[in-house]
Amino acid sequence: MLLAACQEKKTLPILGNKETIIKQGKADTLYQQIPAFQFLNQDSSWVSDRDYAGKIYVADFFFTSCPTICPKMKTQMLRLYERYANENQLALLSFSIDPDFDQPHVLKAYADRLHIKSPKWNLVTGAKAKIYELGQKSFMVTAQEDKNEAGGFVHSGAFILVDKQKHVRGIYDGTKEQEVNHLIEDIELLLKEK
Amino acid sequence: MKQIPSFLGLMAILAVCIAQTSCQSKEEIFRQQYVVEGMMQYEKHCENCHQKDGSGLKDLYPPLAKTDLWKRLNANQIACIIKNGQKEAILVNQKPYQNYMPGNAKLEALDVAEIITYLRDKWGNDPRIFPLDSARLALKNCP
Repeated sequence: MLLAACQEKKTLPILGNKETIIKQGKADTLYQQIPAFQFLNQDSSWVSDRDYAGKIYVADFFFTSCPTICPKMKTQMLRLYERYANENQLALLSFSIDPDFDQPHVLKAYADRLHIKSPKWNLVTGAKAKIYELGQKSFMVTAQEDKNEAGGFVHSGAFILVDKQKHVRGIYDGTKEQEVNHLIEDIELLLKEK
Repeated sequence: MKQIPSFLGLMAILAVCIAQTSCQSKEEIFRQQYVVEGMMQYEKHCENCHQKDGSGLKDLYPPLAKTDLWKRLNANQIACIIKNGQKEAILVNQKPYQNYMPGNAKLEALDVAEIITYLRDKWGNDPRIFPLDSARLALKNCP
């Protein structure tokens, strides 16, 4: 009974910076949000933060020629894609950190070979500086060029869970099945949030 | 008089037999070491894409298990692909896979020998060792 009560109350934290503001004499906390963005997806269509308004989504950073962790991440992301195929509240978003090479037609070929479709799973490309900035400042992950790294880029294998209010609610290691199991549990919690 | 040489002969045959079986098992132990080492190398360098069970990933990365690869390619060709990657499309089970496979430049001939021994054992239905010397030779003669 006690356990059940505890589980019912479980909520996910809101990650990132927060600031307290005083509004009409009342203290209020403002949480960090994913800012506005606009990029091209695998169908050469614009994808922006507005497409994710009122949606829960899982984001990650990858590149199509990545020889190291991306295949593992994509294997796990594919699990989410298949599991939530009919859940319209949930979407997936992968940012390329090698956008000069990953032009929309390259992303298209990749998406086709992975048997995935937009807008359920958008693979996006755009100005490198913007993608890196968004990754580092808003999604709180490492994403940058590094000539010493296999493939030429260093990035974390993180999956970032964003809620309907654009708050980051969890960061998971997308290369590990166990961690993604945990992510799925957290998605279930978010789906129940109003 | 006649019985003694035949008895000796029998002993000799028996000795050879014993020597041979112990020899074979020694080789088998050596091969098993290759398989185990090869499995660890596979987990480190290959599994990300080709998956633990060798099933590949959709049309992106070709499977290694249950494929015609083992009939169509010989070990020397596979050695070169592991080390140098695969730039052109490759046909696996009559399906073309176009994603470029990066090479594994850091792998030594011994690593390649072990990986191939593991692959053949697990999915090639071919329990033969791919010896170090063969791997060296194969890598020297890659196209």
